[in-house]
Amino acid sequence: MRGLSTHFFVHAFACFCLLGNGNGEKASDHWAFQAVADPELPRVMDQTWIRNGIDSFILAKLERKGIPTPDRAIKSILERRLSFTLLGLPPSMLDPKDSLLEQLEELLASPHYGERWGRHWLDVVRYADSNGLDENAAHANAWRYRDYVVRSFNEDKPFDRFITEQVAGDLIPWNDDFSVRRSNLVATGFLSLGPKLLAEPDPVKLEMDMIDEQIDVIGRAFLGLTLGCARCHDHFFDPVSTEEYYALAGIFKSTRTMESFKRPAKWVENLLANSEEQQLSKKHQDLVEAQNAVVVAYRERANQELLASGKFNKLPKKPEAHYPEPTRKILENLEKTLKHFNGSSPQLDFAMGVQEGNVTELHVFVGGDPETRGEIQPRGFPAMFAAYEATNFHSGGSGRLELAAWLNSSRNPLTARVIVNRVWRWHFGRGIVETTDNFGLLGGKPTHPEMLDWLASRFIEEGWSIKALHRLILSSETWRMSSGPHSIASEKDPDNRLFSRSPVRRLEAELIRDSLLHLSGELDLALGGSTWSHENRKLVFNHTSEDNTNYVTNRRSIYLPVIRNNVYDLFQLFDFPNPNSMCGDRTPTTTPQQALYLMNSPLVRQAALGFSQKGFGSDPKVRIQLLYNSAFHRDAEPHEIRQSLRFLESFSSKSEPSDKWHAFAQSLICSNEFLYLE
Amino acid sequence: MSTNSDSRLLSRRESLRNGALGFGYLALSSILGNATLAESFVAARKPLYRQRAKRVIFLFMKGGPSQVDTFERKPLLNRDHGKPLPFAKPKVTFAKTGNLLGSPWEFKPYGACGHQVSELFPNVARHVDDICFIHSLHGTNPAHGGAVLKLHTGSDNFVRPSMGSWISYGLGTENNNLPSFITICPTLAHGGVQNWSSGFLPTHHQGSSIGNASIASGDARVRHIANAKWTANQQRRQIDLIRELNGRRRMNFSSHPELDDRINSFELAFRMQNAMPEAQDVSSESKATQNLYGLDNPVTEDFGRQCLMARRFAERGVRFVQVTHSDNKVQWDQHGKLRNGHQEKASEVDLPIAGLLTDLKSRGLLEDTLVIWGGEFGRTPTVQGHKMDGRDHNPHGFTVWLAGGGVKGGFRYGATDQYGYYAKEKPVHLHDFHATLMALLGLDHEQLTYRHAGRDFRLTDVYGKVITDIFA
Repeated sequence: MRGLSTHFFVHAFACFCLLGNGNGEKASDHWAFQAVADPELPRVMDQTWIRNGIDSFILAKLERKGIPTPDRAIKSILERRLSFTLLGLPPSMLDPKDSLLEQLEELLASPHYGERWGRHWLDVVRYADSNGLDENAAHANAWRYRDYVVRSFNEDKPFDRFITEQVAGDLIPWNDDFSVRRSNLVATGFLSLGPKLLAEPDPVKLEMDMIDEQIDVIGRAFLGLTLGCARCHDHFFDPVSTEEYYALAGIFKSTRTMESFKRPAKWVENLLANSEEQQLSKKHQDLVEAQNAVVVAYRERANQELLASGKFNKLPKKPEAHYPEPTRKILENLEKTLKHFNGSSPQLDFAMGVQEGNVTELHVFVGGDPETRGEIQPRGFPAMFAAYEATNFHSGGSGRLELAAWLNSSRNPLTARVIVNRVWRWHFGRGIVETTDNFGLLGGKPTHPEMLDWLASRFIEEGWSIKALHRLILSSETWRMSSGPHSIASEKDPDNRLFSRSPVRRLEAELIRDSLLHLSGELDLALGGSTWSHENRKLVFNHTSEDNTNYVTNRRSIYLPVIRNNVYDLFQLFDFPNPNSMCGDRTPTTTPQQALYLMNSPLVRQAALGFSQKGFGSDPKVRIQLLYNSAFHRDAEPHEIRQSLRFLESFSSKSEPSDKWHAFAQSLICSNEFLYLE
Repeated sequence: MSTNSDSRLLSRRESLRNGALGFGYLALSSILGNATLAESFVAARKPLYRQRAKRVIFLFMKGGPSQVDTFERKPLLNRDHGKPLPFAKPKVTFAKTGNLLGSPWEFKPYGACGHQVSELFPNVARHVDDICFIHSLHGTNPAHGGAVLKLHTGSDNFVRPSMGSWISYGLGTENNNLPSFITICPTLAHGGVQNWSSGFLPTHHQGSSIGNASIASGDARVRHIANAKWTANQQRRQIDLIRELNGRRRMNFSSHPELDDRINSFELAFRMQNAMPEAQDVSSESKATQNLYGLDNPVTEDFGRQCLMARRFAERGVRFVQVTHSDNKVQWDQHGKLRNGHQEKASEVDLPIAGLLTDLKSRGLLEDTLVIWGGEFGRTPTVQGHKMDGRDHNPHGFTVWLAGGGVKGGFRYGATDQYGYYAKEKPVHLHDFHATLMALLGLDHEQLTYRHAGRDFRLTDVYGKVITDIFA
């Protein structure tokens, strides 16, 4: 057996070689570890273009490069951009008479906003409704965490509070308001959602892998740091030592994520009932048991009477059949009542999450090998920035509350920068720091470092409000730029690193599906709840490859179950992130398999059919306009109408006259203008 | 080796190629001429290994066939049947096992090399002179899920691209109308898609699955390959309209070449609709060829069809074809009833595999096609089950064999101990196996990297030793 200690040397060597090719920057000088500054706005020549600070930072760089002040996109394009960005839905629900700023407020107040932005967050926390990995067991209660995230975005929960709830929700005071308690318990599902090797026969490996996954997701989601590297050796690029890794790991070793490590291992599910509900449930259980006792006793007596009657020497197989009529009636009634009691017992809710465990300090596992123990590490945090007084664990608990405080500390330079950059990425398709999940020495450098800090400062100033950040970004002139073509900008800023024009982005997988269903009028906009009935912990795929997933629903895409190792095919094809690991930066691809899907899948065919019936019976030109308006949010130009008519006339169809409209509608759906956002 | 280009640069370059089903890394590097990648990978250094195989057919025996009952004869195991194992069992085992269990099958020597094969594989046995046996493979994970993932992706605890995807990334495709990586009737359990996933590599290196393990191979199709509504002519008109719509001035962004690429992806998909069913259709094969694969016998028909399809894909330039022997049970997983179970499984695959080898050889394809046979682990020489007639999972020493593609025929490499428990002589870890596989394809496992999440990843992580001794 190859021990992990071998891994230490070889991996360490490989990393060291990599370092040789790095830029040799010292960790203490690294930009991301410096305190967040609040820089002055730069001076620009064209003051008329400036709506807020963002524009100053952007235009200053453009002017320096000799790139002309960008054009603004026309309103219909901006409406489409706004609606897809904020709600993930086509702009049909906007009132075109309203100004953009009014529309912006309407959309921010919509409950569908949380569905769109909650889904972004679910990418970051590797959300899934099944375990994946080796044993694909159902996370039947994970949806409660998903709904919690949607709610949190809709309520504009301060982001620091949002972090605390996810890391230590079970430890936050709730002042006798059990709805708060419930929500906080659900939030800790964040720590438990990762894939676990449930059939791993070695419980130590299972637990340490799980803790590693927790540390990895916390590091990358909140700090943009790959802390997991330090499991086997001091991090070669970022200032995290193996000792610090095990100091952090101690916090999770002191936390209870697993109920049992016995194969198949079981994760913890927290009971979401207050004492009243628990009492009620207990009372009901007592009632059921009492009634059951009555049924058993009555049956026993009836049997004895039957034997006493002398008709049988031993009890017949189905004694009920031989009871006298009145006895049978009474028994039936008693059983009916029992059945009713059984069916009406109050359901107690559970949610994946964590609990406090036994406080434990870990030894360093040299080279990641639990067999080779180094010194004991008291729990604590990496000292890369002195954000928190070292190892001051007052609560006597696992230390997760202290961890949350460390993450949210005003002296922590990463947390605010990382989330502000994520929000920017989700608006513009690329972060100010391109590597959204890596702010370490191997990550990208910010293209606009001052703007990043300025935004982070505003964000903190506004009480970590994501909606306030949206208002800032969406009211900027930068956000309103057109997508081109700009010959000078393309030449001087070919990769658009200076944000000299609005990027053209393909709609994400969920937006494609929701738009298709919307076009055909089938989209069900109901909010929240579970959409997948599968017994908790039961395998989605057992040994038989029998598929227990079910994607048949017209609800919005965020409500489709995310089944690891069997993600919905449209999602897989259109770059939905692999739900086994966190991802803040989806990479769009173009593949022939996508084209096959658009050409041949029942979903697209069905949607195109429904869509093609718009304006049925009206003049073809009117009908073409209607279809153009729904698909592209604009009118068809005269030459486009001519082109469309040519297609409709020449489309041979032996079967139905409606076929040509169906085929036409499908082509609109397959076009770039439908699938891309300017 | 790290290049100065980050993954973004690569992915941007690749996006230019996305419309094509995927040029490989080597091909891409040479296309880019003096660009960074080419400098670092091709131009500056001669590949360490000559390309001995151009493509791979991997015959995956799901569940874990027993090495001591198939291809590695252990006389002492039969002599000491019923006695305790004279040395320690592994610290972590999947389940408890008892004393030694002799093999219920006779072995006899075959071919010029005289390699001993059990009665389970009388047909494959006739090819031993073309086969290179590795008897000392070992992994670490004794559970199906972990072991299947480790075999396919090199990792049982992290999400990594599968070996087929790495090879597609390294070499690209020889046929632009078919995917470069195809997996026929794969199992959806124990990692499922993860086992043919491209992970963080560009998506077009993802394996295209044809059906799954619970579907008869005759009914297996790539999803969405056929249109239920439009004729080819009608689809042609649709694609022409899409081209016109995309060509319009307002979406003609000079800086977005990937938008132009979309139309190419439709053209390719259009061609794939013909190429895929054509490649899958075995009815054009002669009766003799069909029978060679056992298509005339219900026992061998299902797996035989998979093998024949695999040959047809290989012939058409698909880089990596995986054939999975599994149905609605964990095929080779005999914790009990070893005799019946292994006999039944072997009779389903023995003839088709022999047929595949014969067919590849007679067509001259075996020279540059590497055929791999193996499961996710082997089985214990010690007994298990209420009736004392089964074997447990054993990742500590088991057999895989290779044929064609530049390996020595009639050759055996490494061995387990006298009873068949641990890889003892010249142990080959799964990482070494992956490294060797890549070397046979002319790829250097240490050089074929992809920058993701801040570091360069490769199939073999930080391990892997190429076993050059098996090269012909």
